[in-house]
Amino acid sequence: MRDALAYEWTRIRTLRSTWWLTGLAVVVGVGIATLFSWGIRHEFSTRGIDETDLDELGPVLVTQLAATGEIPSVICFVLAILGIFAWGHEYRHGMIRASLTALNSRGAFWVAKYLVVGVWVAVVAVVTLVVSGAVGSLFLHAYADVFTPETWSVIGRQVLYGVLLTWLAMAFTSITRSQAFALVSIFLWPLLVESLIHVFFLLVPALRDETDILRFLPFDAGQRMVSVLGDPDSTFGNPLSALGGTVVFGGLTAVLMAASWALFTRRDA
Amino acid sequence: MATISAHGLGKSYGGKPAVVDLSFEVQPGSVTGFLGPNGSGKSTTMRLMLGLDRGAGATLFDGKPFEALNQPMRHIGALLEAKPYHPTRKARNHLRMLAAANAIPVARVDQVLEMVGLAEVARAKPKGFSLGMGQRLGLAAALLGDPHTLILDEPANGLDPQGIQWMRVFLKALAAEGRSVFVSSHLLSEMALMADHLVVIGKGQLIATGAIAEFVSGSEQNAVLVRTPDAAALVPVLQAAGAQVTASEPGLLTVTGVAIETVGDLAFEHGFRLHQLSARVATLEEAFLERTAGAEEFQARPVPGPDGGPR
Repeated sequence: MRDALAYEWTRIRTLRSTWWLTGLAVVVGVGIATLFSWGIRHEFSTRGIDETDLDELGPVLVTQLAATGEIPSVICFVLAILGIFAWGHEYRHGMIRASLTALNSRGAFWVAKYLVVGVWVAVVAVVTLVVSGAVGSLFLHAYADVFTPETWSVIGRQVLYGVLLTWLAMAFTSITRSQAFALVSIFLWPLLVESLIHVFFLLVPALRDETDILRFLPFDAGQRMVSVLGDPDSTFGNPLSALGGTVVFGGLTAVLMAASWALFTRRDA
Repeated sequence: MATISAHGLGKSYGGKPAVVDLSFEVQPGSVTGFLGPNGSGKSTTMRLMLGLDRGAGATLFDGKPFEALNQPMRHIGALLEAKPYHPTRKARNHLRMLAAANAIPVARVDQVLEMVGLAEVARAKPKGFSLGMGQRLGLAAALLGDPHTLILDEPANGLDPQGIQWMRVFLKALAAEGRSVFVSSHLLSEMALMADHLVVIGKGQLIATGAIAEFVSGSEQNAVLVRTPDAAALVPVLQAAGAQVTASEPGLLTVTGVAIETVGDLAFEHGFRLHQLSARVATLEEAFLERTAGAEEFQARPVPGPDGGPR
């Protein structure tokens, strides 16, 4: 296992795409937080503050507005591409056979890939969210405390979401063995497919009364992991609680990872 | 020093057999050539040997399957793809990554790059490498762990004549150190110069295995050429001794089935004059084509000549 971890650790650090995706996530994340903080400060300084303005300000700021539950996390989607590349490069560039002649334990290779990429994504996400919060504090320290206990809780949940999303993307890439297909799917699914399903349920009369079930759509559920708006009355109520969202989104991730494991350990390299 | 023992290897794709009950051995201290027509199952066999493809049978390296080897690059060096690397990961980093998986010191990375002549481009991205440079990088990877066994699939592909000669000398030197070198190639003339033993397959099945000299000597293309003014009288004498005789041209006989010494002795005993007595030795290519006739996966049609008939 140690050899597999050493291999993956060297692999991820010696790719240029790792560094530009990491840089992109940090720059975009901190950039959005900076713009948002600047805009809020301008608003506060010109219009004054309403108490409700400060509600959930910290979580919304550090998550690049993902804590509103209205948009997916930008940085998590950028970082998930690292996961797609982790498996995609193996198959796209014929690396898989070289990898498996250097590491003859498929199990260790599989585990090391998910572990190293997961840790990398977690660290980058933590850094991005905390720096975003620090930038927000610089702009808004006169008006509010950005790092509330809830902010820290959301940071933790957002990091978990980022790791789960990355693992889901990795598993999907490993199953399909197509980097291009995985890249397209990971963006189309939440942005188009789930939106289409929502519209479908609204437009088809027979389905209109069944829209409650849409809370179980995996990416909708994933957004509930970090959302601080809405008032869930139970874990799997409507809307889902953070735990409910984690169970649904994490469950899908676990199922795809199990399929990825089963296929990777059985089929030809 | 390691003997490779492959037993009952088998693999099918969609019900179509690619490798069928294939067994052979590769001895240390020799270069063993792996020959077969295109699509005969050579690459599949090599992948089966290394556990990359799932199929029947087992391959043991000094009694152990590949999966049981600790830090496998220290035992087996493999080159299976023409360009098995990420195009923008620097050559040295590619090898560093593989070395990390087997606790091989970085100094060895620089050493193998020097060995294969890529030291000058160690920090270059291989996306600009020629096929030959890619093969050298692949060979460098195979040599990283100083393994006792090398499994190389078409390593001479893309190499220029100097590169091919370098590869031949290099692999023979590695074998001379006691290593087992198992190498596939479609360059038969090159294989004739490089290999000591052969494993020949066709349509996934074993056709022949053994020393290259034995393989060639068994060819029907081996013959004794006899030029004599007494051809008509000599033919029945030779046939009585069990030879097959064909008259290639007036006064020239092509004799198979008996040794050149026997032909000379018979001519002497019967008082026939000989103007030429020589052995025609088959080439590896002739022997190979003869043994693999009908075993090609893909058969081309003859190119029509100007009159529409076969050229």
